Amino acid sequence: MIKELLTENLVIGDLKATSKKEAILEMVERLDVNGKLVDKKMYLEAVLKREEEHTTGIGMGIAIPHGKTNAVKIPALVFARSEEGVEFDSMDGSPAHLLFMVAVPESANQEHLKILGLVSRKLMNKDIREKLMKSMTYEEVIAVLS
Amino acid sequence: MKYVAVTACPTGIAHTYMAAEALMLAAAEAKVDMKVETRGSVGVENELTAKDISDADIVIIAADTNVPKDRFAGKKLIEVSVSEAIKDAAALIAKAKSASVFMGKLSESVDDIKSERSFNRKGPYKHLMSGVSFMIPFVTAGGILIALSFIFGIEAFKEEGSLAAALMTIGGGSAFALMIPIFAGYISYSIADRPGLVPGMVGGMLASSIGAGFLGGIIAGFLAGYTVEFLKKHIKLPKSMSGLMPVLVLPVLSSLIVGLLMIYIIGGPASSINVGMSNWLSSMSGVNSILLGLIIGLMMAFDMGGPVNKAAYTFGVGTLVAGQTSMVMAAVMAAGMVPPLGVALATVIAKNKFNKEEKEAGKAAWALGASFITEGAIPFAAGDPIRVIPSIMAGAAVTGALSMLFKSGLAVPHGGIFVLLIPGAVSNLFMYIVSIAVGTVVTAGALTLLKKKVA
Repeated sequence: MIKELLTENLVIGDLKATSKKEAILEMVERLDVNGKLVDKKMYLEAVLKREEEHTTGIGMGIAIPHGKTNAVKIPALVFARSEEGVEFDSMDGSPAHLLFMVAVPESANQEHLKILGLVSRKLMNKDIREKLMKSMTYEEVIAVLS
Repeated sequence: MKYVAVTACPTGIAHTYMAAEALMLAAAEAKVDMKVETRGSVGVENELTAKDISDADIVIIAADTNVPKDRFAGKKLIEVSVSEAIKDAAALIAKAKSASVFMGKLSESVDDIKSERSFNRKGPYKHLMSGVSFMIPFVTAGGILIALSFIFGIEAFKEEGSLAAALMTIGGGSAFALMIPIFAGYISYSIADRPGLVPGMVGGMLASSIGAGFLGGIIAGFLAGYTVEFLKKHIKLPKSMSGLMPVLVLPVLSSLIVGLLMIYIIGGPASSINVGMSNWLSSMSGVNSILLGLIIGLMMAFDMGGPVNKAAYTFGVGTLVAGQTSMVMAAVMAAGMVPPLGVALATVIAKNKFNKEEKEAGKAAWALGASFITEGAIPFAAGDPIRVIPSIMAGAAVTGALSMLFKSGLAVPHGGIFVLLIPGAVSNLFMYIVSIAVGTVVTAGALTLLKKKVA
């Protein structure tokens, strides 16, 4: 169930950050505050390292920064929405409006990985993206992604 | 049309599935049959069966990790990065139709295939090609505009304020001046992303100004890219100052390092090569003229605008006496026309050995070669120097020697085909054209033999 990963406090309806770095920091902070991480700094490093290899701003307004590391205590997904858009070095050059941050431990459970795979697939659909852009509350986001 | 595809990415959490979904959506749109195997961190899902594969017409592999390919032997197969499928799956599906058939490991050992593939995709070759593809339009734009200026007369551009002068300023003074900076800049960009552009272009500009030509540009590009990579890795600023890296620290430091290296390390040899070559050529005035023609040909084609080429060209111009034809000058121009003409011919006779971009550039190379704009061959040489440079040197050498053998002479320092028609500009015109044609065929033949097929 998506709710297991994307818990109530992990939806940021109105992301303040406008730069990639700030956005990542804001989302990592959210994970940390909600007790999903063992080591915030180590997780952040894993995410930034992944971005350095290749940006996860995959275009179409989507970014999916992620880290698979044992700095993660509980697998989780943060969803952030940015009206203004975040400059994310996207592959198509457009700013990111829908940001999903994925945190999974090295030995992640299959069920969780499958859910993340499904969410990723959904994001490729235009109407899902449009609905997410209109979703302000946790319930609305869950409804779109379920 | 039936497609099968495999998607995979290093983390295996998101991209793998996005690419799979993108392919499914685009396939539905294009009304083709598609089955996608995903190799994510969950493991292999929706695995392709032997029957799926044997029924399929086309295989798409969108992966940034190693995907076993043996099972696809004998199928049309296209291999791209996972992001390409996410970005534009529809285009990928269309492009895959013209993919070549994957032969499996029948002829080559697995290791050969692997090392060649990774070299093609990631290594220096990729960076070089990135520079080349950004450079090509500058070469064609500049070259054609210079050729247009010749239409008004070979020296027409010397008259200030004339259209011919404007064309020469646009083509020669601007587009051509940007050619090496853009080339080096985008080699470096390919290595180090955005921060690579500045030192690459600055280094390229210096390569031009110190007369190191496009070979100097290759050095500048790689130097700049790896310098930036090195700096990125080793400079650690406190967080509060990390914003300074891309706007201040990297551009200043990398330009400084690359610039100093270009001026003090590369600049020295480049100018001494030029001086040495010039002296050597003048010391040979007594030598057999056919041998001299051969040497001039080799030099003209070697670096096309670099120190060796310039030495030969300057030597040729130095033999001109007003109102008389010079055999050396004739050999210089004929040999300088051969490289672009030879590659242009090769793109026509060996279509499978050049990529689409190169084939297009080949069309322009006809015009540039005919106008004695040797630079027209640079994109080809820069992309595959080890095979292309010897081929064009061989053709140019044959032409230089033949031009001398036939005792052709030339009274002007430039102009290519435009001066052949001027009465009195060329002596023994017919055999002069024959020498150029023979060299062109030699170069094209050598390229056809040496160049590898484009996958």
